[in-house]
Amino acid sequence: MSMKISIIKPGLLTTVQDMGRYRYLSQAVPISGAMDQLAHRLANKAVGNEDHMATIEFTYDNASFKAETDVLLAYSGDGAFLLYHDQLMPAEKPLFFPAGAIIKLISNPIGVRIYLSVAGGWEVPDIMESKSTYIIAGFGGFEGRALQKGDVLTSSDDINEVSKGILDQLQRRALTYPNWRISRESLLPQKRDTVRVVLANEINWFDATSIISFLTHTYTIDRRSNRMGYHLNGKALLRKVKKELLSTGVTPGIIQVTGSGELVILMADCQTTGGYPRIAHVAAVDLPLCAQLKPGSEIRFSEISRDEAEELYLEREHDLSLITTAISLKYMNI
Amino acid sequence: MLKYDQIADMTEDETYFSSGYPVHMYGLSEQSVTIEFGAVINEELLSLITAFNQFLLQNPFSGLITTIPAYCTLTVYFDPLMVLASDLPGIYSFDKVSAYLKKLGETRRMQSDTLSNRFVIPVCYGGGMGADMFAVAKANNLSEAEVVERHSSVLYTVYMIGFVPGFAYMGGMDPSLATPRKEIPDAKIPAGSVGIAGMQTGIYPMETPGGWQIIGRTPLKMFDVNRKQPSLIKGGDIVSFKAIGIEEFNAYSGR
Repeated sequence: MSMKISIIKPGLLTTVQDMGRYRYLSQAVPISGAMDQLAHRLANKAVGNEDHMATIEFTYDNASFKAETDVLLAYSGDGAFLLYHDQLMPAEKPLFFPAGAIIKLISNPIGVRIYLSVAGGWEVPDIMESKSTYIIAGFGGFEGRALQKGDVLTSSDDINEVSKGILDQLQRRALTYPNWRISRESLLPQKRDTVRVVLANEINWFDATSIISFLTHTYTIDRRSNRMGYHLNGKALLRKVKKELLSTGVTPGIIQVTGSGELVILMADCQTTGGYPRIAHVAAVDLPLCAQLKPGSEIRFSEISRDEAEELYLEREHDLSLITTAISLKYMNI
Repeated sequence: MLKYDQIADMTEDETYFSSGYPVHMYGLSEQSVTIEFGAVINEELLSLITAFNQFLLQNPFSGLITTIPAYCTLTVYFDPLMVLASDLPGIYSFDKVSAYLKKLGETRRMQSDTLSNRFVIPVCYGGGMGADMFAVAKANNLSEAEVVERHSSVLYTVYMIGFVPGFAYMGGMDPSLATPRKEIPDAKIPAGSVGIAGMQTGIYPMETPGGWQIIGRTPLKMFDVNRKQPSLIKGGDIVSFKAIGIEEFNAYSGR
């Protein structure tokens, strides 16, 4: 009883993603996965899925798809709204659509990406223990590529008790959804243009005024920004230590400084190693904010300690586990 | 799995962290720590990092996900929630992980436990397979035959895999072949291309843009997602090149 959708219009860049591919970093296989891991996880939780299951990452709007069977879907993120029968669909809650429903993505001016989950998760082969798409090398996700018109995406028919409970309650001959929704806003900081950063190992390679500039000036996201990384426009940073950094492990969230003093935030598809000195890394809890920044958006950095970043991470994980528990208790047959 | 308090205290010579290289650890992100062993490229440091990496993977702490060896560093990824639930000393996951790594680094180093494979890579040099062969020969005042002879007559050490999946950075090249990378990178370098950049040589596992000087091409699949270990070679391996003709190259590709 797997569920199916077909892509009518794929949009700018639509890929299957999960929580990332970690086991092959030593072979220079990037982590990839959802750029906005929080939205990905919330979309999964809303249909009763586990966080690691695959969702579809849409970039902006201008896309549409058709339910080929009855489907239980959810979405989260700021890149678009789902529209069905001229009605805006609420985010972060399970949405039951009857077979034949045509769902469109329409513009949400706030962000870049949304994640579409299905009960059971989207079924694509596991490549190196992950369903994430890495387009540059053409593997993972749906045939190693972005989705195209006519592609049919199928859910795993192995759905868990929670998803079954949600489906039993919602399945009709028309659109239905429950009253509750997950509050994504309560998990995100109010100031969406300021991200918290932890200063990096090469911080003392930069001169003092440049460090102050980094922490006080406003930067804007350049057009040269994609799933690998974001180039920032703004005050160039000067170095007092001119030595070369031998290529070493890097990870999404790291802010590198290029030879010309330009800042680059590494994102999901970044290389596994890099040779530019690093000024800071974006706190894991604020990386989802970066994932929703579009070219031209402003960004500021505020410093926190490594310990604070870990406390924020634990707090976020705790809140997320409470959401899972609440939804499970509501729908499990006990 | 090794228990933290079962790791023997060994502060004599020959431990991983007392090999004459200053060890420094730093948090890279909430889920990774980097061990820096120095700031030079040499084979002694490479074998130290390779050996410590293998020792760590054989004796993981609870929550270890994976590692990335590089020229002078080993980056260790972990699940903070699992690390925090462990009984390692410290409050934060960085403290716990670095305490474990330090203890492991202070155990006696096994000299014979490093597994490195040897590979002979067939390469069709020059012509349509090595677009920059002429430039490399000219830059070093050599004939193309001399470039082939010198490139295929030594053993190379794989320092690390980086840039794109399966791309091996190899050292040990004859210094008379050293050629700077291109000022303007090529938009498309074919899969299998063998290139030179400075004192290093490397193989492009897939078609990508790149700035290395291309002298030949191998018919081998350097990276294949259908293999158990997708990357043919790994850090610490030993590689040599064997010159082959176009017929042999085509015979490989036809397989």
